[in-house]
Amino acid sequence: MKRFAFFPGCLIPARYPFMEYALRESLPKIGIELVDLEGASCCPDPIYFKSNDKTEWLAVAARNLCLAEEKGLDILTNCSGCTATLSESYHLLKENEALKDQVNQRLARIGKEYRGTSRVRHVATVVRDEVGIDAVAKSVVRPLTGLKVAIHYGCHLLKPSKIMQVDNPDNPQVLERLVEAVGATPVRHGNWYLCCGKACENEDLTMSMMNDLLSTVNEVEADLLGMICPTCFSQFDFGQLKVGKKFGKDFKTPPTYFFQLLAFAQGTPYDMLGFDRQRFKPKCLKEIEAKADAS
Amino acid sequence: MASKTKKDDVVRIDFAFRRELAKKVEGNLASFCYQCGACVGDCPSTRYGSDFNPREIMLKVLYGLGEELLGEDSVLWECTNCYNCAERCPQDVKPAEVIISLKNMLSDRGAAPATAGKVVETFYACGRTVRESSAVDRLREKYGLPPLPPVPMDEIKSILEPLEEKGEAK
Repeated sequence: MKRFAFFPGCLIPARYPFMEYALRESLPKIGIELVDLEGASCCPDPIYFKSNDKTEWLAVAARNLCLAEEKGLDILTNCSGCTATLSESYHLLKENEALKDQVNQRLARIGKEYRGTSRVRHVATVVRDEVGIDAVAKSVVRPLTGLKVAIHYGCHLLKPSKIMQVDNPDNPQVLERLVEAVGATPVRHGNWYLCCGKACENEDLTMSMMNDLLSTVNEVEADLLGMICPTCFSQFDFGQLKVGKKFGKDFKTPPTYFFQLLAFAQGTPYDMLGFDRQRFKPKCLKEIEAKADAS
Repeated sequence: MASKTKKDDVVRIDFAFRRELAKKVEGNLASFCYQCGACVGDCPSTRYGSDFNPREIMLKVLYGLGEELLGEDSVLWECTNCYNCAERCPQDVKPAEVIISLKNMLSDRGAAPATAGKVVETFYACGRTVRESSAVDRLREKYGLPPLPPVPMDEIKSILEPLEEKGEAK
């Protein structure tokens, strides 16, 4: 087993605990052990908290990184926002001694010191690089054969690529390989690179962008949207409904967080993966389960 | 602050604004901008909005046209934070980061939108951006997960206190 300090963040444990459950179910089956980090806070949020005060943002992030350093483990993140905050903080503190010194003056008040010994790894890259795509394929007991999954990378998994170091932002492959490993067919739609718009304060702008994005998802007739970020997920769940209404379009592709799909393909029941709580429910998965139960 | 509408029609660089921005983390990066516009082509807010242009924002930073950037309802909040601009910039300016530094200045002036204020307030109260509640814990229980563990707020509050001017004794 490869061990990692698990950093669940806020959105997944509080809003989408079924994603946390899916991770805790699926990762040990492919050789990844999650070690809980006591005392972790919000990463903190790379959009609004960071916009308020970058020095506070960096201090809180460094404290979270210290918790993993104390355990001597790398951090495993499951949210693109947490990955952005923690990777960027790691990078800033490595490059800038003066910043590191300022952060450590704050941390000294609580008896901590940031050293920079724990790397930050998004769970998708941990799976790809530490256990391999083959291990994922081998863990599958009910492959999602025939399902077309429109891939949505979101922004912060990939960019800025010098800091994130996950994949080529202009032609990423990691989610395609993961979706293939659970037996489904990944599809790249025309506007695959567009942002979900969740962090933009102009709703008209966001809605027009989502309209273009979802239109090309419809063109490829995808059964599901596959993604790796809980913020994008929220945008595609309730957001999709709003955009469809505004533009009079039939947008209804159910969003899925990749590890919901993996846990499902490994045999975790549909009812335990939160699909019933989504605005757009992935009926195609329910059908796969019904067929498997019948045979 | 500088203005481009002075009588003599000359733009005067506002160095006080630029010094204030430079004090923010990565706030000085715009100094390396040579206005090539590589950031614009891939910017979704430029494509889908009408007012947002990262090259223009960097130019206003260079001139120190603070009043055009730091007013109420600033255009800066239209940034999607997608980092395409940082990806394309040949000078490593990271326009998205400069914009976040400018937002820090907006927050210092109490001019951040309510959405931002709410997230910050929630974090100060509980150390997360989503509050703990019995509803959250009941939902977690459905998936066999324990209640959300509390965040040690004494530690968080302690590190959020600003540094003393001359540094602190180690």
